[in-house]
Amino acid sequence: MRAPQFIYTTTFRWALTVTAVLAMFVAVLFGFIYWKTEEYLIARSDSVLAGTLNIIAATPEERRLIAINQHLKEDSRSLQHAGLFDPEGRRIGGNLEQMPPELKLNDTVQSVPIVKMLPDGGQTNCVIRAIARRMPNGNVLVIGREVDEANKISHVVGLAVTLGLVPAFFLCLIAGAWLSVRAQKRIEEINQRVQRIIAGDLSERLPYRSVDEPLSKLAIIVNGMLDKMETMIHALAGVGNDIAHDVRTPLTRARLTLERGRTNATTLEQLQAVADKSIVGIDQALTIVTALLRLAEIENSRRSAGFGEVALDEMLDEVCDIYEPIAENKNIVLHVEATHRITVRGDRDLLIEAVANLVDNAIKFTPEGGKVSVELLRGEGAVIMRVTDTGGGISAQERDAVQRRFYRSDKIRNTPGVGLGLNLVTAIVKLHGFRLTIFSGPGCRVEIACPDAPGWTQAAPASPRPEKLTHPSDAVVASS
Amino acid sequence: MMAFVSGKHTASAVGRPGIVSKLAVVEGRPMTKLLLIEDDSETAEEITAELADCGFEVVWAANGIEGLDRARSLRPDAMIVDRLLPGMDGLTVIEALRKDQVRTPVLVLSALGAVDDRVRGLRMGGDDYLTKPFAFVELIARIEALLRRPAESRERILRAGPLELDLIERTVKRGERVIDLLPREFRLLEYMMQRCDQLLTRAMLLEEVWNYKFVPATNLVDVHMGRLRHKVDGPGDTPMIHSVRGTGFILRTGQKI
Repeated sequence: MRAPQFIYTTTFRWALTVTAVLAMFVAVLFGFIYWKTEEYLIARSDSVLAGTLNIIAATPEERRLIAINQHLKEDSRSLQHAGLFDPEGRRIGGNLEQMPPELKLNDTVQSVPIVKMLPDGGQTNCVIRAIARRMPNGNVLVIGREVDEANKISHVVGLAVTLGLVPAFFLCLIAGAWLSVRAQKRIEEINQRVQRIIAGDLSERLPYRSVDEPLSKLAIIVNGMLDKMETMIHALAGVGNDIAHDVRTPLTRARLTLERGRTNATTLEQLQAVADKSIVGIDQALTIVTALLRLAEIENSRRSAGFGEVALDEMLDEVCDIYEPIAENKNIVLHVEATHRITVRGDRDLLIEAVANLVDNAIKFTPEGGKVSVELLRGEGAVIMRVTDTGGGISAQERDAVQRRFYRSDKIRNTPGVGLGLNLVTAIVKLHGFRLTIFSGPGCRVEIACPDAPGWTQAAPASPRPEKLTHPSDAVVASS
Repeated sequence: MMAFVSGKHTASAVGRPGIVSKLAVVEGRPMTKLLLIEDDSETAEEITAELADCGFEVVWAANGIEGLDRARSLRPDAMIVDRLLPGMDGLTVIEALRKDQVRTPVLVLSALGAVDDRVRGLRMGGDDYLTKPFAFVELIARIEALLRRPAESRERILRAGPLELDLIERTVKRGERVIDLLPREFRLLEYMMQRCDQLLTRAMLLEEVWNYKFVPATNLVDVHMGRLRHKVDGPGDTPMIHSVRGTGFILRTGQKI
């Protein structure tokens, strides 16, 4: 036979333990009350006995027997004992048949066993409290009393304990069982929901009752996590579709070209043209895949092994040196202002890639005759690399979208490489713990802020013209 | 954008010059022997066929252990090693060879884009790394570069045809005409003069001259090369810097090959 499941739950076991401890406390308490009460009653009865003895002893010798009989007659429950014995121990009067052998004379009240004569002629052993004193004439006076109150009290206490504790114990057991069954039910409910989530129902959430209950609190926390994950998974699925679409387009073109070429090409030159066209299509698809892999590589890598001191001023100079001819070809002025020597901890190759991407973008989206500036500034608590151009800029709408992970604007998706370029920059910036801010409005302004940390040093004195940097509320921080 | 122009027809259509094997055949030297360690037989077949067309003798090994044996017994002039191999990882094969003091130049192929520290070490050793998928032109250009690795030269002046480049003075002359170059252009020309009559792909130039580990969206190399060409090939001069469509550039010394 198997015991019900709830017996094995911690809730039930705790209830059981608490009940046992409680029962123990109650028993000890009742015991203490019993002990104290008995002590008090006996003390009182003892003082009464001593008083009675004194009174009877004080009565004249001839009236002493009458006083004893009077004293015994007043006792309706026949709990009192008294006896008068001659110096040889023979009984003169009272209801004691003989002098209790263990009773010491002229002492305090003490417990002694006696043989009690019953009214029906039988006799029984019992213990009484008694006191004895030798009278001036040599007789011995004994006064005693049965102390059965103590027994009665113990009986009452026992009854009270039984009446109180046993139902309480069962009540605790029931409460424990109920609590554990309830907890089990909730766990089972949660389990069912979780199973549904595992099975793919991402909109499922855990049940909760009130905000203050621990299990509900936990459920709310988990629900928050599930919300985040659902959004991310949907975003990822969206990205998957985008990628599939982007990769499929050039592949479709290549396939069609090959298929048509196979049928129609009659000369070697025609076939070569077909092959060239197909290769271009495949290359396009491969470029997208390569960029995505690179993105994943940077996002997944937590490597800081390649980290070292990077001189930002030199790095910006170098990037601009590389892009100078390209800007010049487009009749764009590329202006660099990085006069202060500032170093940060980072991966030089990746940082160059990030800045190069930003400069590349700026040049690409700036019309002829425009200007692209690259600046290195000391901001409040951060070093800032700023790329500004005089191009069309990013609209507020689009800027919000850029913040979304993997987002690629329809406008820029068809420009090769660019769509993922900004994501790449974001990933690199994030890896370094820096912050990327894109400002909207005409003339795009993008900033990479490298927060001051113990890891970086500034060799040159602070900027002679300190740049006060305010982060407008409309700026979007595309990291962390 | 990478250009994966491949296929011998396209290549011969633009008159792919500077192929080592052709030199080898003309000069009557023994054929250049290459060892290919690659587990995918189809890829291996394609690579072997292409390299054979270019006049290389190719030995194929399908796994790392066999590859190591062949490398020790055949002593090839250069090796092409796939990184992920059954039995023994490609980089382990190379490490084992280096321990034996075999200094054969190696080109590592890999489907992994990630350039980790082991590969960085490899690059420092003068060997090269190519990510799959690659264009055959790129592969051959790199093998050629490995085979014709410029010798450690103590000379302060590099010469290529009428060009003279002084490494100490940082000056360049074409005949009597002094050419004024920016530092970056100087480095580019220096690199090209060390490898004249050799096809240099855009990726190679980006890695070696600009130290770029990624392919930028804008065609940086073409713009810079355009400026250098403008300065080197003045009006009336025989053009020395030639572009190979969709692939890269060659500095021709004007000698008949």
